[in-house]
Amino acid sequence: MVRNFLSESPLAASARDVLLDAFDQGWHDPLKLSQGASKARTLYQECLESISARLGTRPDELEFIGEPSFGHFLAIQGLRTPNSRIFYSSVDKKEVQALTRAGAHAIQLPVTSEGFVIDKKLDQASGEDLFALQGANGETGVVQNLESLSERFLSHAPHGRIILDFIAVGIHIPLPSRWDSALFDSRSWGGPQGLGVMAIKDGSPWRYPLPHVNSFRAPHSFSLPLLLASAVALDAWENQEEKFRSLSRRLRGGISSISHCDIAGDLDRSLPHINSVSFLYVEGEELLRTLEKRGFLVDSGSACTAEDLQPSHVLAAMGLLTHGNIRITLHPGTTEDDIDELLAAIHLSVAELRE
Amino acid sequence: MKETIDCRGMRCPLPIIACAKKIIEMQDGASFILLADDPAAAVDLQAWSRMTGHHCAPQGDGAWMIEKRIKD
Repeated sequence: MVRNFLSESPLAASARDVLLDAFDQGWHDPLKLSQGASKARTLYQECLESISARLGTRPDELEFIGEPSFGHFLAIQGLRTPNSRIFYSSVDKKEVQALTRAGAHAIQLPVTSEGFVIDKKLDQASGEDLFALQGANGETGVVQNLESLSERFLSHAPHGRIILDFIAVGIHIPLPSRWDSALFDSRSWGGPQGLGVMAIKDGSPWRYPLPHVNSFRAPHSFSLPLLLASAVALDAWENQEEKFRSLSRRLRGGISSISHCDIAGDLDRSLPHINSVSFLYVEGEELLRTLEKRGFLVDSGSACTAEDLQPSHVLAAMGLLTHGNIRITLHPGTTEDDIDELLAAIHLSVAELRE
Repeated sequence: MKETIDCRGMRCPLPIIACAKKIIEMQDGASFILLADDPAAAVDLQAWSRMTGHHCAPQGDGAWMIEKRIKD
């Protein structure tokens, strides 16, 4: 049996049933006039209401995006003005960093060795500057102090705009009190891939950054069946914070007895299901393959496993060891036995590879 | 001239392993120059230094001076 500790997991059973059914029943275009279209429209409305209730937004603040990464472009670009500068951090996703640096004066904020954004440079903010703020990091799980960071930014730029990256956060933590746009990915609550959710705060100066073809704020080319499955998965999503935290504590405790390893971030200030650890003198890819042979699937942030062969910019920004890295993601079905067996496999594999 | 270990063209963790092997045969306080061009080396040498207590000082142009320090 293969134990899954990758960041992705199979679709929740209830969402899978809905998805298959929806492809059969929900193929009508909700914008047309037939009876089927009217039913599709009702389903869409129901999804909108249930998702917005769980995310803590108003229904009319949400847009669904068929390509989640494209949501970053809409969320950022829709708030830009010709004179606005943009603040972002060294642990933001590479695609967010690339967007912030394209065509604007961008100011990078460094992070501490624990992965927290150092807010000193925010004192330079003014006017309609932008702040791209990541709720939590997808590689390390480290959660930012959103209230204090946004407060500091807005105290210098009262008309500043805050763009939240909630892709990794999902509904693990609530939205902070001040934001303009926020982006979610259905996968963060066990939904299907291929559905992003963009929230635009009521009253925010956000404007659709592409040429308009109608009055919509997003392309609306997302798949209705994926939306239905996302709504069902979100509805079924249970907060297992305490269980994840206790399993992660067990895992990190067992790993820390291995000499010369770096565990990223403080568990009490991180998403409880993400664990990133690097082992000195070990190659990440070899460790990943050795663990797979023993029946455990994990991710790696090491250079040898990246397409561009660059080490993880997140680990580098925190000053942590970038080689020999694995990321262990817990899922709702993960048990204490799974953790103990994974720990035994890690101890064996690291010892073997260090010989 | 200090002894030089040339790890150019090697990918991490190989330069760090070469460093660790070299340090075993050295006296406390002795040093050597390490050359490495893997982009991960700069971060990983600092992390290695933090974990093992040996000193690592960047000399620029992909060179580092490594000095053996025995932890108390």
